[in-house]
Amino acid sequence: MSKFVYAIYIRTTAEKLWDALTNPEFTRSYWCGTRHECIWEPGSPWRLMIPDGRVGDSGEVVAIERPRRLVLLWRNEFMPELRAEGYSRATFEIEPVGDTVRLTLTHEIDRERSKLIDGVSNGWPAILSSLKSFLETGDALDLTRHWPENL
Amino acid sequence: MTEMTTESTVYVTYIATTPEKLWAALTASEFTRQYFFNRTVESDWNTGSPWILRMPDGRVDIKGEVRESDPPRKLVVTWNVDWLAEKLPEAIVSYEIEPVGGGVVRLTMTEAHPTPIPAYLLEGGRKGWPMILCGLKSLLETGKPLNIPVPQPPKEPGK
Repeated sequence: MSKFVYAIYIRTTAEKLWDALTNPEFTRSYWCGTRHECIWEPGSPWRLMIPDGRVGDSGEVVAIERPRRLVLLWRNEFMPELRAEGYSRATFEIEPVGDTVRLTLTHEIDRERSKLIDGVSNGWPAILSSLKSFLETGDALDLTRHWPENL
Repeated sequence: MTEMTTESTVYVTYIATTPEKLWAALTASEFTRQYFFNRTVESDWNTGSPWILRMPDGRVDIKGEVRESDPPRKLVVTWNVDWLAEKLPEAIVSYEIEPVGGGVVRLTMTEAHPTPIPAYLLEGGRKGWPMILCGLKSLLETGKPLNIPVPQPPKEPGK
């Protein structure tokens, strides 16, 4: 098992955070220009689209409970070495704490020394830091506003 | 038998600020009291100098020594919890500050345990650091700290 866990506290509401995580109108701003293709129902297919039209990641909605919990099956689609690792699981949990909400992301896969989990361990802190800035200040971090040129 | 560990805790966050402002926020009480559970810091932040993290009621929370000080890039301190009846082995806490372009800096906090400690104690830092560093990010980006209740210290399993 390889696993990455990250908790982030954001001054917002659970509903606003949920919308920022799932609505393409928002993800575009802070998640490197990507957008979800999904109808957000249990069992529905899910894809994360790269701005140039490629599929970045794909999978399925395992569990969805707005605005508390979302579980996605998640396979990388644009890097063959990572795609070969198969499906991982990403769990988003949202809980109010003080004047903030805590988002806990757990991204795990049933294999040792996963390159996918190495990759997302680098990516998630940047994307989620940018999401926090976006919700608290209205502006995402410059770092994640666009899809990286060499990817 | 208590499970022991030397595992580190790492937390990375990206902040729209400058390395100088982030360094000041980590090392000056006017900032720390706003995001570090009302605690203040005391040190001249030179390599080899002592440092203290003080609770709002005046008691010492953490004390140690500055191991490495390279403003505004890197700060490494030893970390000894001062109020426990039973002394814990010393931890090492490092802050690394790297500009990544576009007016953003990456802060990497590492809490390392060169000497094994009971594994359940890691929970304290794993819960606390995201609260502290998220508050620091909000303070620097919005001028307003977060209001998060102080977490309870971890309990030994079965006690």
